Amino acid sequence: MNVIEINQLTKYYGKHRGIENVSFSVEEGEIFGFIGPNGSGKSTTIRALLSLIHPTSGSATIWGRDCIKYGSELRRDIGYLPSEVFYYEHMKVIEVLNYSASFYDNVDYTRIQTLADVMDLDLNKRIDDLSYGNKKKVGIVQGLLHEPKLIILDEPTGGLDPLMQQKFFDLIRTENKKGATVLFSSHILSEVQKLCGRVAIIKDGTIVKIENIRDMQKHNYKKFTLEYKGLIDVHHFNLEGITNLTLNENTLHFLFKGDINRIVARLQDQALLNLLVEEPSLEEIFMHYYQKED
Amino acid sequence: MNILKQELRMGRKSLIIWCLSLAGILMLFMLLYPSISSQLEDFQKVFKSFPIEFQQALGVVNLQLDSILSYYQFPFTYILLAGAVQAMNMGVAVISSEVREKTGDFLFVKPVTRNRIVSMKILAVLVQILITNAFVFATALILVTILSTKPYNVGLFVLITCSLLFIQIFFASLGLFISAFLRRIRTVLPISMGVVFIFYIIFLLNETLKDEKLGLISPFGYFDLSELSKTMNYDSLYLLLWFVLVGLFVFLTFRLFARKDLPSI
Repeated sequence: MNVIEINQLTKYYGKHRGIENVSFSVEEGEIFGFIGPNGSGKSTTIRALLSLIHPTSGSATIWGRDCIKYGSELRRDIGYLPSEVFYYEHMKVIEVLNYSASFYDNVDYTRIQTLADVMDLDLNKRIDDLSYGNKKKVGIVQGLLHEPKLIILDEPTGGLDPLMQQKFFDLIRTENKKGATVLFSSHILSEVQKLCGRVAIIKDGTIVKIENIRDMQKHNYKKFTLEYKGLIDVHHFNLEGITNLTLNENTLHFLFKGDINRIVARLQDQALLNLLVEEPSLEEIFMHYYQKED
Repeated sequence: MNILKQELRMGRKSLIIWCLSLAGILMLFMLLYPSISSQLEDFQKVFKSFPIEFQQALGVVNLQLDSILSYYQFPFTYILLAGAVQAMNMGVAVISSEVREKTGDFLFVKPVTRNRIVSMKILAVLVQILITNAFVFATALILVTILSTKPYNVGLFVLITCSLLFIQIFFASLGLFISAFLRRIRTVLPISMGVVFIFYIIFLLNETLKDEKLGLISPFGYFDLSELSKTMNYDSLYLLLWFVLVGLFVFLTFRLFARKDLPSI
C-alpha cells in the first residue's frame, strides 16, 4: 500500500518555479530517500505534503486522503523535522515539548524523557540558550514523541555531530522497524545510501529519477584526483568505466565506476605526488544522469 | 485550548506593562485635577484664548472643567490612543509572529486546522483586551470616585470608559486583517503606530472640518468623547458601522489566512 502518493504536483511562487509535475509514491514501511541539491524543490514538495503551502496544480495524498483537505486529521500521525528548527525562545525545552504533546491524543509523556536521554538533551534549558545542534535535538524529540506512523525529515542531520547522527539514524531505524514509514530528504548522498531503500532524485524542480539504492550502488562512482611529478600519459587510463577525464597541468581528474582493483593495479609504478579518492558530489552524479539522458 | 493558554502566556509580560502604563497615564492626569479645579477660571481663560480650530482639535471647546467627567475625557483621549496602539500591536503580531519567529513550521504541522489556530489566537487577543479594559475601568473608577467633590453621572462614566473596549476591538481586528493580507511582517510597531496615528489625525482634522463622510473613516470619531457627554449615548449609525467593519476584518482574516502559503525559513 502506498502511504504517500504525489501526482503531477506543481507549485509556482508567482512566476518563480518551486516544483513542476513531481510524481512519486512512498510505500508503507519503507525509508524513502528524497535527494537533490539546494533549491531543487525538496522542501517545497514536503511543505505541500504538510499543507503549509497550497499546490498550484496536481495533488498529493497521504493514506489515500488529500493532503490539503484532510490536512489536520492526517497530521495526527505525521512527525516532521524541518531542516532548520525554531521554537518559542523564552520557553524551556520541556515546556515546548509538553506544548507539542498537548496537540495529540494519548501521548505517552514518559517518551519525552526517554527520547531526550537517547539524544542527550537537557530538558530544563531555555530554548534561546541552546546551540544549533541542541535545537535540532529538540526538533527530533518533538517530531517523534507522538509515535507518528509517517515521519517526514527535511535535511535532518545538519548541526548534529557524527555520534548524534548515528544515534538519530538508529532512532529512525527503530521507528521504521515498529512500522513507521519514513520520507528522508537530504542533499548528502552517503547518508541517504546508509538509510534508504529507494530514492527519488530531484533537480530544478523536477524528478530526474527514482531508483533503488542497490542499483545505484552498482554504479558506485568514485572520484579520483592524481597529482604527478612529471609528464602524464593520459592513455595509461584508457580504461572502461572512466568518465569525465580532465587533465590540468600535472593533475588528473576522473570518475570511475567498477572494480576499484583495476585502478589500483594501474597505479603501480606511477610517480605520484598525491592521490585522492573521494565520493563524487551530488552535482557530479547528476551530471552523470543528464549525460545518460542525452 | 492549549493554543489559547500558550498565547496568553507569551503575551503576559507585555500585557502587564501595557496595563500599568495605561493606568499610570490616567493616574498622572487625574491627580492634576484637584489643583486644576482650584484654578478653574484661569484655565478656562487660557483655553478660550486659543483659536477656535485649535480648541476643536484639542477637544476643549465645550470643556466644562467644573465637572470631573468633563475633565476625565481629556486624559482618556490619550488612553484611547495608546490603547489603540496596544490592541493593534496584538492584532498584527498574534498570527504574524509565527512567521517572523519562524515557529510556523512547529505550530502549523500540528493536527489542528488553520481556522482553529486563527480562532484561538483571536480569542487570546480578545481576552487580553478584556483584561486591559477591566484594569483601566477599575483604576478610572477608583480615581474618579476619590477625586470628585460632587456626585457624578455614572452612566456617562461607563460610556466614556467603555469606548476603550470598542476602539481596541476595532484596531485589533484591523491589525489581524493587515497581518493576513501582507505576506511577511518584519516589525509590528511601525505599522500599528502609523495606522493608529493616521486615523487619529483624520479624527482631529474632522473636529475642525466637521465633514460627515470624513467622520465615517476614523473610528476615533465613532466614539467622540465630547459628543458622548451631549448625547449620553453611542451613535447608532457609527455603532453599526463599527460592527460591520469588525465583522468584515475578522471574516477576511479567516478567509485570507486559510489560503496563505507559509514562507519557508
